[in-house]
Amino acid sequence: MGVTCVCQVPVSEGKSVQQTVDILHKKLEQLGAVKQGNFWVDCETYHATGNATGQPSKLLYVMHNSETPLSCMALFEGGPGLSADANFDVLMVKLKSHFQNAKGHKVESRGVRYRYCDFLVKIGTVAMSSSARGISVEVEYCACVIPGDCWNLMKEFMQSFLGSNTPELPTVFTSKAEGLSVPVDCMDTMSQYLELFGRVRKQQVLPGSGVR
Amino acid sequence: MEAPPVSVMPVTGGAINMMEYLLQGSVLDQSLESLLHRLRGLCDNMEPESFADHELVYLLKGQQGNPFLLRARRSLLHPPAPWHLRYLGQPEVGDKSRLALVRNCVDVSASHGLPEVLNEMGFRMDHEFVAKGQLFRKGGMKVVVSKLSRVLVPGNTENTEPLSLSYLVELSVLAPAGQDTVSEDMRSFAEQLKPLVHLEKIDPKRLM
Repeated sequence: MGVTCVCQVPVSEGKSVQQTVDILHKKLEQLGAVKQGNFWVDCETYHATGNATGQPSKLLYVMHNSETPLSCMALFEGGPGLSADANFDVLMVKLKSHFQNAKGHKVESRGVRYRYCDFLVKIGTVAMSSSARGISVEVEYCACVIPGDCWNLMKEFMQSFLGSNTPELPTVFTSKAEGLSVPVDCMDTMSQYLELFGRVRKQQVLPGSGVR
Repeated sequence: MEAPPVSVMPVTGGAINMMEYLLQGSVLDQSLESLLHRLRGLCDNMEPESFADHELVYLLKGQQGNPFLLRARRSLLHPPAPWHLRYLGQPEVGDKSRLALVRNCVDVSASHGLPEVLNEMGFRMDHEFVAKGQLFRKGGMKVVVSKLSRVLVPGNTENTEPLSLSYLVELSVLAPAGQDTVSEDMRSFAEQLKPLVHLEKIDPKRLM
């Protein structure tokens, strides 16, 4: 894998989520990007049912990514995270008397995966309880794992189809103590999705936005 | 605050309902060599795998009921290898005729952030130890002969002291629930190790 950048693209004025997604698809195809299957990223929320110490507990997020289908990522917002094999899901079932799955909070992003030379672009519709809440765009530069070395190139590429919606360098990279020269891993991508999903969760439902 | 609706989520991956069939025994240090020699002869024709693992046992205490126990292991010989997280259920009771201890088992490979995540989840480390030994295989059966050592200074695996003057011997098989014939194979294999070691069905609750 390479350096990734995940951002939210606002729905164009007067357009629906689907129409905005279609516009992005068209722009990418005009650039010469080729469709290469679909992708999905999902996020389950778990909350502790109560601990003996009585201190408030944080929410635990368990995420999956079609790019790493045999893995499962467990994260705390702004806190530690781990990647594990799919048996972690089985473990969460065993833990259900201590951690409850807040079913209504499940967020996922699904969409089309494009390849443009060394870049992978994933345009997804972010949905919560099957109502579309927004659009996610993930850009991955597969040829490099050091954010500091390729960010300018990635930014320039994103400007070509996102225009003024091009994001700044993700905070997941800037907040690392070791700086921009440490290699990225799959957790960096997932933290960015988690941040995006958190924003989307707080957002109002878009009118007339049923998906699928 | 009202809790969000809860339901059991459909498991997308992973192996659900795997059972561990287990027989345990021990040998005194001075008898180790003859047991290893016998195992080399009986087991699959391969060099036994040597291992040195650091195991941390974590407990999650709820408001009621028994604490939830998880075992996290890391290899001291291969530090970059993933951590191994293991959940073991209560031994299945009721069937006295069963030849081996049977309990639910979930094995998870996890990245190195595991201790921090367990801590954040509310788990607290209860105790830790170092296990050094050898692993033999015979088909699906696993024979682990290991020396358990107590960790004298928390977290420091260099500074240990053997727990006893013997080696723990465990014969185990992982199989889906309901495959009770494996325990018969285990029993006949255990017979062949007598009188060097007596492998028995030991209820861990009896030892508490």
